[in-house]
This record gives sequence, structure tokens and C-alpha cells, in this order.
Amino acid sequence: MIGLLLCLPAALILAAGFVWPVLLLGRISFNRTTDMGAMEEAWTLETYAKIVTDDFTWDLAWNTITLSAGAAAAAVALALPVTLLIRSAPPRWRGVLALMAVAPLLVSGTARVVGWMAILGDQGMINALLTGLGLTSQPLRLINNLTGVRIGLTESLMPYCCLVLIAGLSRLDSRLEEAAATLGATRSRTFFRVTLPLAAPALAAAFALAFVLGVSAFITPRLMGGGRVFVVATEIFDLALETVDWPAAAALAMLLLGTLVVAMVLRGVLAGREAPR
Amino acid sequence: MTHLRLERLTRRFPGTAAPAVDGISLDLPQGALLALLGPSGCGKTTTLRMIAGLEVPDEGRIQVAGRDVTSLPPHRRNMGVVFQSYALFPHLSAAGNVAFGLEMRGVARADRAKRVADALALVGLEGFAARKPRQLSGGQQQRVALARALAPQPDLLLLDEPLSALDAKLREEVRDEIRAVQQRLGTTTVFVTHDQTEALAMADLVAVMHQGRIEQLATPEEVFERPATRFVATFVGRAAILAAEVVSPGLLRAGEATLQAAETPPSGRAEIFIRPHHLRPLADGVEAANALPARVTRRTYTGDIITLECDSPAGRLLAEVPGGTQAALLRPGDALRLGVEPGDLRVFPA
Amino acid sequence: MRRTLLAAIATIGLGVPAYAQGGGQITLQAYAGIFRDNYTQTVIAPFTAARGTAVQYHDGGTSAAMLGTLRAQRADPQIDVVIMDVTTAAIACAEGLVEKIDASTLPVIGDVDQQGREAGGECGPAVTYDHLVMVYDSRAVTPAPTSLAAMWAPEHRGRVALSAPPNIQGLALTAILAHAESGNWRNIGAAMPKLRELAPAVQTFDPNPDGYTLILNNQVRFATGWNARAQLYSDQSQGRIGVTLPQEGTVFQINTINLVANSKNRAQALAFMAHALSPEAQAAFTERMFYGPTNSRAQVSAAALGRTALAPENRSRVIGLNWSEMVRLRDSWNQRWRREVIAASSR
Repeated sequence: MIGLLLCLPAALILAAGFVWPVLLLGRISFNRTTDMGAMEEAWTLETYAKIVTDDFTWDLAWNTITLSAGAAAAAVALALPVTLLIRSAPPRWRGVLALMAVAPLLVSGTARVVGWMAILGDQGMINALLTGLGLTSQPLRLINNLTGVRIGLTESLMPYCCLVLIAGLSRLDSRLEEAAATLGATRSRTFFRVTLPLAAPALAAAFALAFVLGVSAFITPRLMGGGRVFVVATEIFDLALETVDWPAAAALAMLLLGTLVVAMVLRGVLAGREAPR
Repeated sequence: MTHLRLERLTRRFPGTAAPAVDGISLDLPQGALLALLGPSGCGKTTTLRMIAGLEVPDEGRIQVAGRDVTSLPPHRRNMGVVFQSYALFPHLSAAGNVAFGLEMRGVARADRAKRVADALALVGLEGFAARKPRQLSGGQQQRVALARALAPQPDLLLLDEPLSALDAKLREEVRDEIRAVQQRLGTTTVFVTHDQTEALAMADLVAVMHQGRIEQLATPEEVFERPATRFVATFVGRAAILAAEVVSPGLLRAGEATLQAAETPPSGRAEIFIRPHHLRPLADGVEAANALPARVTRRTYTGDIITLECDSPAGRLLAEVPGGTQAALLRPGDALRLGVEPGDLRVFPA
Repeated sequence: MRRTLLAAIATIGLGVPAYAQGGGQITLQAYAGIFRDNYTQTVIAPFTAARGTAVQYHDGGTSAAMLGTLRAQRADPQIDVVIMDVTTAAIACAEGLVEKIDASTLPVIGDVDQQGREAGGECGPAVTYDHLVMVYDSRAVTPAPTSLAAMWAPEHRGRVALSAPPNIQGLALTAILAHAESGNWRNIGAAMPKLRELAPAVQTFDPNPDGYTLILNNQVRFATGWNARAQLYSDQSQGRIGVTLPQEGTVFQINTINLVANSKNRAQALAFMAHALSPEAQAAFTERMFYGPTNSRAQVSAAALGRTALAPENRSRVIGLNWSEMVRLRDSWNQRWRREVIAASSR
């Protein structure tokens, strides 16, 4: 009872800050847009029908899923060694290293993108180095395209993966790795046969979080895609703030939200089945 | 023939003043079971971890069967280790756990299956091969850990407090099993424990450790009956401790009583340790080298043994008497006489 | 209350416009940044000084964001006057978020030129004219280009920033190219081959934060822009950023000024609109920021006028694009850009 009462403030904030806006958004998605762009109050599924039957929507969905799945996988793969390093560091360094791993979260997405331009741009550090060494004559196209978004998204998801993995691997008993060593396993075999399988749930959780964040990512695709990368989030932005078609923006947002909710529930069910108790 | 030799093994942890292990040397014969016995923080686990290669000694050497293994990583030492928490791989079945060491050593698949089955049979877990660790009881997990450590036929079996996670009843059963298996295989074994009963019951040799050093390395009987130091006398078993003065070699004054002892320091202040079972109630008229009048102050009944706390001119004494005897009927306030052989008094300079 | 009553009595009795009384305060929603700074100094400050009416400036972000604010406040408007892009204002007008208005309510509308009156439809008239320009890095591009064709030059490959539709700069550029190729701005088919040809040279179709910054950071050499800001940035960068009204022509971007429906300060809001559209305010803002004046009686110096599309030599280059027509074409233009231009720009 006390526990429920203590949850009340959070529940109220969630209701006011999340549930209510989502309900409003849902309402707007049933409105109609006239051919000159004005929004009319209505209860119609026209907008949904138009979105679902448009091939471009499915291209968007495919782009979004492949992009975020790839970036999430890369982020997890890169976060794992970082996390293992933190785990093997002396205890008094662990906190500092963990903080460094998640420090990018403290920098605004926009500022990070500006940094990426300086590094990845046609006249950026990497291309200056490559052309300076005579390795390439034409600059490598590392930004304002899908490559740029992949790099930027992977980097922006890594801190979240680190957070999840640090928490997940802290419960991994280091005696298990010692036991493997005493049984004759080299470091690499210990990693692949013991550490990695035991880290699998944490890796899956990190991937799921990164994937969801990647699907809803807007700033990175927008600022690093050079207008060449179309994902659901950038399309919602264009619909809401360029063409001012709110019903379409709302409907697409609701479809995205619905898909993510279904995906999370499915994952929960699958994970629950895998690990009883 | 010496199988395990430790030479001046030392380990200091950064930021601590005293070494955790301070120049330990010992020789262990082939097939023997050594118990490293001591309170927590005495360095026994660190010693075991250095033998396993999980901890690097700052000084000293470790030899196994004449081979120096000091600088070998753990995976090249061929030792079987049973951890306090068992450290079973939760993602592998019991059979998978036992097979792990065989696989790492490149044992062929067919051979492996047989050796896994043999190892599980050895610890009485034939039907449990497919179970995951979390589907096994504590005792079963312990047995899997033992089978896993033994399956690759290690040069040395190392056990770190293997019984501490088990309840009292099971602990005795598993203890006897470990001893039986160890003796059947003849595997030289080092066993870390803080429980003297375990050490005395299982070991061929007991090393009592204190503050990083070995206080006494001897057979269980020797350690119990003839503790080499004051620490061993207090840590292993119970004893009445009497403040005394050496009157002359072999003769001590404790309180208002005079006692004869087989061995004493030449002179000066001393402490006398008397094990409860060495004090015997004397029937009327029976004389003894050391006979002390005493009065029961407290009686503790534990079934087959009754412990009597008594006041005597020499000081407070503890006596154990078998149930069913005349002395077992004594109650607080009753008087009696207690005798002890001069050879059973352990006297240390105070 | 008493003041309102007095104003009402005065109106009935003397037949003067309802906004004649001073004092009070209104809230204006318009663009942030340098628009706000310059508009405050040249238009708002004189208004407040003359009438004692305070003007709260609400940074509106983009026109679409401003429309969002109006929609959200429909039941209880906090904004009295809004300056926004004509296409978005048309939506606000159709949704009844802003009042229908004419010269009988706001006599100064009679002085607004015909295009400016028609642009706003039944709602508020045009308050500024801007037009699409090509901006370039004057250090890297010499001699100064006069034609959009400069962007197609091979030596500038990879150094062009365009804004793709649905952004209105992208729509404007497409219309200009269509007009140059076929004489009809609606004929996107005529623009497509040119755009497909340019596509591989484009660094970004979504310049961030904007094309001017990318030029100053040496990221690109060409971008499209709106004249007023381009002129200011050109001055600020000591001419590093060059501005060209291309010989292919240009199209207007029009901002209209509107009275928010159910404004709580309607009289003062109308007074402000009258001031904003007055020849004096129009001229002052043009002198400062090079937006073309919509009041045909505004007296602007030749120097300032020369930097707008209203200069006699520029007038003939303005293509008569109808934005309400463009809104209907937008979706299909957007599709063609994505399928034919951006897809052909693999980088």
C-alpha cells in the first residue's frame, strides 16, 4: 500500500507527461487534412490507410529497422570490450572509467554532430590524414550519407549499451572465469566459452535498448544524413514541421509507437519463457 | 616422495602493511591430503590461489612433482580447483561442466563422454548429467564441482572451503565422501578450511596458519594433542588456560596449586593449557601426579559427553566426562577431584 | 475595464478606428534570432515609444511550430499577432485560427500592394517579401556567379548544399529551374534532368545548421538561401558570403501578418498591425534587413531597395509563383525528388 502511494508522483508525472500527450497524438491521427493543408476534426482511418498502402512507408520501416539493428549491434559489440576493460580495472578506477564511458550522454546530440563533422567531413581529420598519407585522392564520404548516420548512431548508442552491460556484467561471477582457467581454458577460450555466453542476457538487453533508441533516433539521422537518409523519425518531423500534415505525422508516430510496444512485449514474453523464475 | 613443495611463498597486497602470506614453506607427499587451517584473513585462501596460479606470489617458488610451476598461468598447471561457491558454469549442464576441462585439454569426444560419466558416477550423480546447476541442490552442486575438478585427472586437487555452504548434516556426509574419493584416486590434495573438525577429520597433515605464517604443520593428532604454539592450542580444540610460574623445570605453580609437567620452560611466567578430555575425575583414594580438588560451577549436557566447568585452587578448569558415569551425575555446587597426567599439560612461556 | 469602455464609447461617438487608444500590451509571435533583433529595434520599439503599448515577443521557431502554438491555444489564445509564412498562414486562416480581415477593419491594407493583399487571401496581408538567392563562398568562387549554372561546374563537385523538398527552399529552387527550362514553374518534369545532373555534386540536401555556416566552415561553396538573411550574413562576414539573385529568376517567400482569432487585446493588436504595415515601419525594416516592403508607399533608399527583389532591375526576374497552388503540388514534387534526385546522389 505504502509502495503504491510512493509510486503515485511518478505515475502522475508519467500520466501528465507521457500518457496524455500520446492520447492527444492518437486523437489527431484520426483527423483529416484538406488538400490545402488545413486540419479538420474527424474520426477517420483515411490517414492510416494512406500510410499503410504507401510503398514509401515500408521503405522507411525497412531503412529504420536495418539502420538501427546494425547500429545497435555495432554499439553492443564496441561497448562489450569497454565494459570488460572497466570490469577488470582496479576497483577504485572502475567508477571513473564507467563515468568516462557514459560521459557522451552529457553532451548534447547537436554538439556531438558538430564534432563528427570536424572528424568525418570531406575536409575533416580522417580525410586530411588519408589524403596527407597519400592513401586516397578523393575524400572518403563519411558524413551526409548512410555511412555517417551509421557511425553517428553507433556512437550515440554506445553509452547506453555500456550502462546496461556494466550493470549486467557486474553480476557475472569472476570465479567462473577463474574456474575455466583452472580447467585449462586459455583467456580467449574462457571469453568465448564462459564470459560471452553468460553475458548473453546483458548483451540482448543492451541490444534491445539500443535498437529501440535507434528506431526512434531523430537528431543523428537528421544531422548526419545530409538529407539522404529517410527513417520514420525524420519523416514524422518532415510531416509535422515542413508539410504541416499533423494527422499523417501523428498516425505515423502512433504506428511506430505501437510497433515498439508490440516488440517490447514480445521480447518480454520470449525472455520470460527462456528464464523461468 | 614430495609431490608439492612450497618454498618461502610470499604475497603482499598493495595498501596493506603485513604480507597476506609471509614466507610459507612446506612439503606434501604424493597422495596426501593437507588441510590449511586458520581463522579468516590468515592467508590460507591466498596460499591456495597461489598454488592454483590465480594469484602471483611476490616471492618464493611452487613445485609440483619436481616441476617449477611458479610462473605458469593457471590453465597450464593441471590442477583441479573446487571453489567455495563451486563456480559451476550456470549455462552448462552437470555433464557440460564436467566435460569442460576435458574439452580444454583436447580429450576426444568419445573418450570425453565416458570420462564424464565416470566422474559423475564417482560422486554418485549418474542420473543428473543433463541438469543445469540451478536445478541441483547445494550438495549435488558441490559434487559436480568435485567431479569437474577431478575429471581431467589433475596433478593436484585444491579445495577452498568446499563445505562451508552446506548445512551441518550434509557437511559431514560430503566431507567423508570427499575424503573417500580422494583416497580412492590417490590425488594429492590441499584443502582450505576454518573448521578444525573438518581439518582433523579429513587431513593427513594439518597446517595451522596465523597471520600469513604456518604455526604448526603436523598430523591431526599431533596438532590436537601437542599444539606447538599458544595460538594452535587456543585455535584448535578447547582448553582451560591457567596462568602459572615455573618453579623449577617440570614444576609449576598455578594459583594455590603446584603442578607437574613433562615439559616446561626453564623459568619465568607461563601459561598452562589443559584439554578437557585430559582431566579425569578421580575416585576417592586414588592418587595421581596432579590431583586438584574442584567444585562444579556449571554443567553442560551434550548427550554422550558432559562438560563440567569447575573452580580449583589452580584456576578455572574444563572437564569432559562420558555420559552414564558417576561423574556425569554431578551438579553445580558438588565437589570432586580432577587428575591430569604431567605429559598432557602444554606449557608455553607467557 | 474602464479604459476598454471608454475606448468603445470613443469609437461609437467619434467614428475613429477601434485601436486609436494607446497603452496595454500585446503578444507577437514571429521568428527568433536576427529577425527578432532587427524587428524589435526597427518596428516594435518605435510602436511602443509612440503608444505606450508593450509588445511581448514570443519566439515562434518555424512557421509550422507557430501554427502548432496557435492550434494548441485555440481555446485560450495567448498570442495576439502572428507573422508567419504565407502557406502556413493559409492553413491558420482556413482553420479559423486567425481572423479574416480587410481594409474596413485595417485601413492600411489599402496601401499594401496587390500581390501582398492577394497573398493573405481573406486573412492578414503580406508584411515582408523575401526571395530565393544563391549564396556562395566569394573566396572560392570567382568571378562572382550570376547564374545557378555555377553550381553545376565540375570543380565544385561535392561542395553544394541544397534544401530538398518539402522544405520551401527546395520547392522554390525546383520552380525556378522548371521556369528557366520550360517557361512554366509548375513543369517539374523540365527541372528534373537538371537536378538529377546536379545531384552527385551535392554535399547535403539538409544543411545544418544552415548553408551560411557550412560556407564559413569551408564545408561547401554554394547553397540556396533567403535574401534578407543572406544579405545580413554577407555583411557580417565582410563579403565572404556572396549573394546572387540568379539570372534564371527567383520566387518570393512571403510572410503575412495576422490577427489571432479571439485575441484578448484585439484593439492594440490591430494598432500594431497598422503600424507594422505602415510606410515608415516597412521602410525602416527594409533598410535594416532587406526584406522587400509590401506597402507601396514605403520610401526606401535606392541602396537598400537594390538589395531586395523590388529593385527595378530585379523585378522582371521574379517568377509569379502562387504558393497556395504550390501546396497542392508539394507532395508529388517531394516524391520525385526522393526517387529521382536524392536517390541519384549516392555518396
